[in-house]
Amino acid sequence: MSSKESCRNELRSAIRQLSNRCLYSAAQWAAEQLVGIEQDPAKYTPTNTRFQRGSSSIRRRFRTNDITSTPVAGVSYVSTPVMEEDEVEDSDFYLLAKSYFDCREYRRAAHVLRDQTGRRSVFLRCYALYLAGEKRKEEEMIELEGPLGKSNAVNRELISLERELSTSWKNGTVDPFGLYLYGIVLKDKGNENLAHTVLVESVNSYPWNWNAWSELKSLCTSIDILNSLNLNNHWMKDYFLASAYQELRMHNESLTKYEYLQGTFSFSNYIQAQIAKAQYSLREFEQVEVIFEELLRNDPYRVDDMDMYSNVLYAKECFSALSYLAHRVFMTDKYRPESCCIIGNYYSLKGQHEKSVVYFRRALKLDKNYLSAWTLMGHEYVEMKNTPAAIDAYRRAVDINPRDYRAWYGLGQAYEMMHMPLYALHYFRKSVFLQPNDSRLWIAMAQCYETEQLHMLEEAIKCYRRAANCNDSEAIALNQLAKLHHALGRDEEAAFYYKKDLERMEAEEREGPNMVEALIFLATHCRAHGRFEEAEVYCTRLLDYTGPEKETAKIMLRGMRMAQSSFPPMDVEHFPP
Amino acid sequence: MAGILKPPGAFAVTPHKVSVCILIQMYAPPAMMSVPFPFSSVAQHNRFGLYLFALTKSCEDILEPKLDELINQLREIGDVLYQWLTDQLISRLSSLSSPDDLFNLFSDLRAILGGTDLSAVDDEQVVLDPNSNLGMFVRRCLLAFNLLCFEGVCHLLTSIGIYCKEALSSCSAYELPCLDDSSNELEALSEYENMDLENIVFEKVNKEIEARKKASEEVSFHLHAPKALFGLVEDIKVSAVSKSQGGDKCREASPSAHAPNDAMREFDSISGAFLRTNWQMQGYLMEQADAIEKHGSSFSLNAFELILRQLQKLAPELHRVHFLRYLNSLYHDDYFAALENLHRYFDYSAGTEGFDFAQPSIGCNSFGRYEIALLCLGMMHFHFGHPKQALDVLTEAVCLSQQHSNDTCLAYTLAAISNLLSEIGISTTTGILGSSYSPITSIGTTLSVQQQLFVLLKESFRRAESLKLKRLVAANHLAMAKFDLTHVQRPLLSFGPKTAMRLRTCPTNVCKELRLASHLISDFVSESSTMTTDGAFSTSWLKNLQKPMGSLVLTQENVSGKDSNAFQFCAQPSSIPGSVLQLVGSSYLLRATAWEAYGSAPLTRVNTLIYATCFSDGSSLSDAALAHVKLIQHLAVFKGYKEAFSALKIAEEKFLSVSKSRILLLKLQLLHERSLHRGHLKLAQKVCDELGVMASSVTGVDMDLKTEASLRHARTLLAANQFSEAAAVAHSLFCMCYKFNLQVENASVLLLLAEIHKKSGNAVLGIPYALASLSFCQLLNLDLLKASATLTLAELWLSFGPNHAKMASNLIQQALPLILGHGGLELRARAFIAEAKCLLSDPSFSVSQNPEAVLDPLRQASEELQVLEDHELAAEAFYLIAIVFDKLGRLAEREEAAALFKEYVLALENENRQDEVDPLLSTP
Repeated sequence: MSSKESCRNELRSAIRQLSNRCLYSAAQWAAEQLVGIEQDPAKYTPTNTRFQRGSSSIRRRFRTNDITSTPVAGVSYVSTPVMEEDEVEDSDFYLLAKSYFDCREYRRAAHVLRDQTGRRSVFLRCYALYLAGEKRKEEEMIELEGPLGKSNAVNRELISLERELSTSWKNGTVDPFGLYLYGIVLKDKGNENLAHTVLVESVNSYPWNWNAWSELKSLCTSIDILNSLNLNNHWMKDYFLASAYQELRMHNESLTKYEYLQGTFSFSNYIQAQIAKAQYSLREFEQVEVIFEELLRNDPYRVDDMDMYSNVLYAKECFSALSYLAHRVFMTDKYRPESCCIIGNYYSLKGQHEKSVVYFRRALKLDKNYLSAWTLMGHEYVEMKNTPAAIDAYRRAVDINPRDYRAWYGLGQAYEMMHMPLYALHYFRKSVFLQPNDSRLWIAMAQCYETEQLHMLEEAIKCYRRAANCNDSEAIALNQLAKLHHALGRDEEAAFYYKKDLERMEAEEREGPNMVEALIFLATHCRAHGRFEEAEVYCTRLLDYTGPEKETAKIMLRGMRMAQSSFPPMDVEHFPP
Repeated sequence: MAGILKPPGAFAVTPHKVSVCILIQMYAPPAMMSVPFPFSSVAQHNRFGLYLFALTKSCEDILEPKLDELINQLREIGDVLYQWLTDQLISRLSSLSSPDDLFNLFSDLRAILGGTDLSAVDDEQVVLDPNSNLGMFVRRCLLAFNLLCFEGVCHLLTSIGIYCKEALSSCSAYELPCLDDSSNELEALSEYENMDLENIVFEKVNKEIEARKKASEEVSFHLHAPKALFGLVEDIKVSAVSKSQGGDKCREASPSAHAPNDAMREFDSISGAFLRTNWQMQGYLMEQADAIEKHGSSFSLNAFELILRQLQKLAPELHRVHFLRYLNSLYHDDYFAALENLHRYFDYSAGTEGFDFAQPSIGCNSFGRYEIALLCLGMMHFHFGHPKQALDVLTEAVCLSQQHSNDTCLAYTLAAISNLLSEIGISTTTGILGSSYSPITSIGTTLSVQQQLFVLLKESFRRAESLKLKRLVAANHLAMAKFDLTHVQRPLLSFGPKTAMRLRTCPTNVCKELRLASHLISDFVSESSTMTTDGAFSTSWLKNLQKPMGSLVLTQENVSGKDSNAFQFCAQPSSIPGSVLQLVGSSYLLRATAWEAYGSAPLTRVNTLIYATCFSDGSSLSDAALAHVKLIQHLAVFKGYKEAFSALKIAEEKFLSVSKSRILLLKLQLLHERSLHRGHLKLAQKVCDELGVMASSVTGVDMDLKTEASLRHARTLLAANQFSEAAAVAHSLFCMCYKFNLQVENASVLLLLAEIHKKSGNAVLGIPYALASLSFCQLLNLDLLKASATLTLAELWLSFGPNHAKMASNLIQQALPLILGHGGLELRARAFIAEAKCLLSDPSFSVSQNPEAVLDPLRQASEELQVLEDHELAAEAFYLIAIVFDKLGRLAEREEAAALFKEYVLALENENRQDEVDPLLSTP
């Protein structure tokens, strides 16, 4: 890792260059990372570091080993020279165009720059044209929507842009920003392989443009593609890899990368949010909640990623915290898909499913590829017993991202609700294939096999066994395994699983009908196999409970004692030879 | 959006519709007399009207035609008119330069519609009836235009500009007087556009079009696709993935080249393309579905998949596309794609879209009709040969249809289950259907599979009849006939008063069921499916425009009668849908099969021929292949192998890629039989092994193939004189047939066992088998097989010595009429030889007194056996002839016969010895 100071300098000039080219979101991202670098306490007064204080407490709480002290061996970072601006003096036309651009009058901006030849002006003109085309495309999409949902609106600037950019690429007169634009144009036109090449070239020559990295990330749909990229070792590459790993559901790898990055950018909100995302995928809700609390304290008007926080709050059933969050994002920006999703979650938690559907719909209006909104809306429809609508919603989620195991699971559940277990199994199979370590999915599948209609108990047992192996948090699997084995007359196996279940319940200090059931089975089983002492232990434990089981236990105890006294063990010593 | 079913068929104004409107305006200009200006005759006028009608109805493609295509079609309408019509059309289209022009156009259009009160109008005046097809079309266009917002009108204007420009720039071949004019106007148009919001867009688009023209020499792909579709055999054997990779590679090699890769071309062809109306698209999809079913695996997978993908892009809410993709992958044996697409289709449509038999009124919104999904899934598993899964799924479908009281679906599901049960072999009855199926469980679980099948058929039939599902009723009749053909009906209940039942199959029942099935055609009039016939008619009419006769007819003046003839000739609107024709056709095939079983060769042939001539164009290719197989088999049995093989060559060419297995199977069968007859045993064994490999390895699937393979194996062993092995194979085959209740096959296995014992010289053991086979044949009415069993029995008696010759002779006389009438070459020859042998061994018969009584049958036998190339039997015949001549003292003839005998024996030995590969096998 290069030194903090050099990072800081690189970022500072990058921010300036990016905003000169009106790449605002990339500039924003860079600026966030810039302030995320740990300040040197000697140089700065406490006021400067004040808002960084909160995050350090998380680090103290969650850092188990100091990763920054063990940098990845053998990685030498290339130092990319900071690009010098070729136009030192801004031309008047450029200034006018930039002001038009800032007022979102893209075509005017492009028009002003029509004869300018400086690289920056050329880029700005192309970029303005591209954005104008995008804007028109969005409008046309609504204007042209046909009866069957036809949306063939295209960005009409793409063809001329591609021609211009490819010519200048061939001539070698294009700068990294132009390459980035060329990359997105190619991607929009569906020419992904060339887009790869161009984007890689762009990030290798100018690594601080996060937009280029994210475009590249969206093109990396498999680990093979990711590994085949020929990227220079720059610290920005670590950011890229971390988020690409996350996209590819390699959460642990991604987490390691982020924690490593935190060594330098210890106060970056971005990194924290990404860590939270990874932890959420690993179902570590407690940690996620803590991270988000800190994040909100530092950055109270943040809306990004807050839908995930709301999911956590939903799962933990924190009514008031969720409503507080909903209120806050609503006041900040109500027309963000995330805001609508949070409100939808809140209504769902309150059991007002119709209202929640309204908000999920609004979220989808704002972004119709918003994956989790489709899935959540499916859940709402399931609650409302409107299965066809639920199935439709889930299916849309699956078609947007076929690796979304939650939506597959939802589809399975919906079909199971309609008493179509065999049909549902197809979907459960898909979901366990994608997420083989989730016990809930295995249990759902097992229950499908167990239904009266199918009655495929052997398969159910196999599924439960998988569930039990994946750290089944609700402890359904062991009990069910025992029951099924018992029902199939395999008492030895049943006893094994009952015993395991019992141990587990003891460890977790849980009581309940399962406990009684296990005890009574084990008692009868041991007695039947002549292991009276063990049986006695179980019976005595049963005496602690009320109900008919207690009486049964008493009777059994009495019976065993009678049996033992009437047939005393044959002791050899009593009969000396 | 989820849970909301969009109203189907919203209608959008497109450039193509505008030009059709303009053409309609020319067809019926307001205030004109009976034949408006450019038309010279009523016939011409009518033909133009018919053309317009076809334009609005045809469903040959998903996209609307471009202007140049339209102009090309207009050219077909008539040379004289063509110039005038196209000039008018283009000038009026290109004169649309501002939104106001469009408004004017549509308000003019209103004038050509007559009022509702037609009686007030003068008879001579051409008025468009507002309720006619064209009138409706115009009204819909008017309505759609009125509903457009201003942006919509602007878009329409822009796309009309592109529509014209594209046609004009691409076909400069048209000598249009107004070309300069219109291009000026187009420039004016683009100037106007500059004032508009999208100042540069238009120029860009033009550039784009030019760039595309330069870049891709080929026409954009949707022009080609239908041709590729109907060209059938020439499939594009390149998968989409490899194609795009290739494109990308070439990109990387020369990054500046404008070579269009896959995605780009798709992108290009979509911009500026408009979908046809929803109605037309549904029609197109239905036609394609029929085509897939008809042509099976020869249907081009990739070309159609490309169209579907494009359609899905253009109309993401048209869920039927997924079903078509399912069908496409199903018939190309792509299990995973089929499964995926099936699930996707039903997830989106909830089973409420596109099934004729689903009544949408009954609460489809609250439940959905997922039982149909199960039904389809079950049939899919059946298609892929997973009987166990299929049965499970169908059982679930039964439960669900009962729960949702969807009787229609239940009837279909029961029919599907009975079809499944009749096709696959199931040995045990337990666990076939889940406990929840009430009609079965109420009777008890002791029923055999056959009895269950019978109950299911009856049940399905009852429901279909009460619901008036004609096609299902007919299909059930056929299934019943099939059942009656091979099964002896027994009383279902094992208690109660026993009615006296003749334990035989009932040919009359079969006949009755078959007749009832054929009534479907006459019944069909009442069912309405105008959509397909209308659309199909229009499509074929438009397609036939390309034929030269159209213009020929029009140039003549006095042609009204001829014209209609020509039109009837080239596009006969058939009022009977393809599915009905297919069903009726299969009833004829079943008739042929029934006669085959009952042993009447001529009737089999006649029925197959009826099928091949009358139903072959409506039938699926696999059925057609079956008919050909039957005919070729007939040839082989009656005319010998030479003719059969030459016919097979023709069939192989005809069904080049289709139902490969069936034709291949036939080839193997013929090869096996011929090599058995010639005594070429190694080849026979090889062929037999190949045949066995063709069957699926799943238990219960492909039972007929499996039995046939082992039957042939046993026969090969028998020919090699390995009697005990042959007997062992036959025994195990018998056990299998018994286990799976294959009674007909049992009869022939028993006969084979008798033959084995006969040939091994163990006649005493053979007789019980022959008798058992005989009784089986009697039970199942298998007359021809019975005759051949009788013959075998006679041969067995004969081998006991001269004492039993009388008995044998009697048996042969019994069987002879049937054998001579219906038997094939081999059977007849065997009968003749046996007859001669009987006479020869009869001590009371003297050759010298009546030589012809022996010589005549022997000569006939030898002739037939020579045709059949059966060396062994031919040798025997000549041997007998030589003996007879010897007894008669006709030495020259004796020598001749003896020489032939020697030749055949040597040939047999040669074949046995040589190991060369048969030329027919080596060149498949």
